[in-house]
Amino acid sequence: MGFGTVLVANRGEIAIRVMRTCRELGIRTVAVHSTADKDSSHVHAADAAVQIGPGAPRKSYLSAPAVIEAALRTGADAVHPGYGFLSEDPDFAEICAENGLTFIGPRPEVLARLGDKAVARSLMTDAGLPVLPGSPGTVDSAAEASDLASRIGYPLIIKAAAGGGGRGMTVVRQTSDLLPAYRQTRATAQAVFGDNRVYMERYCDSARHIEVQVLADGHGTVLHLGERDCSVQRRHQKLIEESPGPGLHPQLRSAMARAAVRGARAIGYTGAGTFEFLVHDEGFSFMEMNCRIQVEHPVTEAVYGVDLVREQIRVASGEALRMTQEDLVPRGVAVECRVNAEDPARDFAPAPGTLDEFVPPGGPFVRVDTHGRAGWKVPPQYDSLLAKVICWAPERDEALDRMDRALAEFRIAGPGVHTTVPLLREIVADPVFRAGKHITSFLDSRDDRQG
Amino acid sequence: MSELTQTQGSDDTFSGLDYDNNGLALADICRSIAEVVRVGPDKPRRVRIALGAASVEVEWEQDRGQPSSVVLEPQGGTGAAGGAGDDILEGHRECAPLVGTFYAAPSPGAPPFVQPGDHVEQGQQLGIIEAMKLMNPLEATRPGRVVEVLVGDGEPVEYGEPLVLIDPDDATGGSQDEGA
Repeated sequence: MGFGTVLVANRGEIAIRVMRTCRELGIRTVAVHSTADKDSSHVHAADAAVQIGPGAPRKSYLSAPAVIEAALRTGADAVHPGYGFLSEDPDFAEICAENGLTFIGPRPEVLARLGDKAVARSLMTDAGLPVLPGSPGTVDSAAEASDLASRIGYPLIIKAAAGGGGRGMTVVRQTSDLLPAYRQTRATAQAVFGDNRVYMERYCDSARHIEVQVLADGHGTVLHLGERDCSVQRRHQKLIEESPGPGLHPQLRSAMARAAVRGARAIGYTGAGTFEFLVHDEGFSFMEMNCRIQVEHPVTEAVYGVDLVREQIRVASGEALRMTQEDLVPRGVAVECRVNAEDPARDFAPAPGTLDEFVPPGGPFVRVDTHGRAGWKVPPQYDSLLAKVICWAPERDEALDRMDRALAEFRIAGPGVHTTVPLLREIVADPVFRAGKHITSFLDSRDDRQG
Repeated sequence: MSELTQTQGSDDTFSGLDYDNNGLALADICRSIAEVVRVGPDKPRRVRIALGAASVEVEWEQDRGQPSSVVLEPQGGTGAAGGAGDDILEGHRECAPLVGTFYAAPSPGAPPFVQPGDHVEQGQQLGIIEAMKLMNPLEATRPGRVVEVLVGDGEPVEYGEPLVLIDPDDATGGSQDEGA
């Protein structure tokens, strides 16, 4: 039973990306937008659009009643939440169901359990996945924090239970920093996520961020689509991702894939999801699960030849996955660079402004997902991601050469507009990155060296 | 907007006017119309200006195919003085504070909360916006005379959509554009 109309509860490049697949499936699309996004590309990309609130996300893209109203009045059968905003909100998923709308994502109770990172950690421990030494649940008092820290050892990381997207986490390297960091992380978690609960884990300086893509239907099939290396990060924000992970031992790779499938099965996951792991000297450890389509999903699509959004929609409509694990054979290497509207000279602060010139790259094996266009004013209220450039090639070196070529082609200019393009080109040329030997601290330590 | 610009430049429409006396007022009126057109749901079908008695008509094509027109007429002067005429022509728009369904009356078949010509006090209920089965009152944010209810009973409305046009008692405050 396919959907007739899908409302895309998001903005920017991901909204357009979802609408493209809907169009290919013959599904009518509805955009929602704030007053600040009246003239944004996702509004033009949809068959219908509803203005749901003012510029502040809390009153528009994060407002469940506004999104539901828009869905009901436009005759939508389903809601695709994209990433961020309401994508992992169990309450929203439940309200969708109460209003006869299919939420394109996992069931609300699964979202609720995995959304609490401390609960997710213990669920995955029970499912037999390796986790780093840490608190069994949330750490609710300073005394408990001190007690646990002495058992976990330093460095350790304090993370918000409701956290995500690299926010609400603090690395602690010595006892004297523990309590201030504990209090500060709780305060940040309260401010950002409205939930001050935190948990603690051993922190690995020398680790790689490797995540496994899974796809599961409601008929018992759980598949994996290999891994992505997302170790190029600035302050826990990913900048460059690639698939497969360079130089990963085949045994480690398949062990992680098996663990992800086991984890997804254990919690009854449906749809597209991602298991984030840290790969370190002693092997790999589960960090968290992301219950949505991810920013970096195109690299997986490129090497597996699978449209992940299409599969999400099919699974949500009750269909069984048509492929088997044996069908899923990766080919070549795909790399994604995130072009953000940020100013490197101002510590990568968002640098919104009017795009006088905006000419994305093209050519063989280059994909650009963007909502940018010449003459459009980047609103200051939202995420600074402006475009994703994805390059594919049979070998990693060729893919990186292609990426450098594509980034050099990208013309973005406007008063006050700065982007991460120059930095991305530097990283692509960096010998450590070229050799695939970069770890999560690569960029921050590189900044320090140059700093 | 483009139609308006054309009209402005057309010799036919404005021939015979004394620009020294009326040019300023005309410019004010045009600016006001431009503002009304900008916040309107669609491009207007027709804009008519008569400077003598300073009447302005803006006509929109409605979904149902019935043209509805907003006619604004200053009660007193000719508008030639400009200034204060701005606000009277622009009116004050009470806009939808949320996405939902607009109801002009407290219940089906009941008389509407307000009708054109009614005087309303600040805080007086003008309509209902139903969202997620909750009835949210739409209240006047300024006292004044109701010029027109711009949306039909039971029609879906978007955030920020103008719902009721009010000719405010205190015309010096200027119009409020609710974040749109």
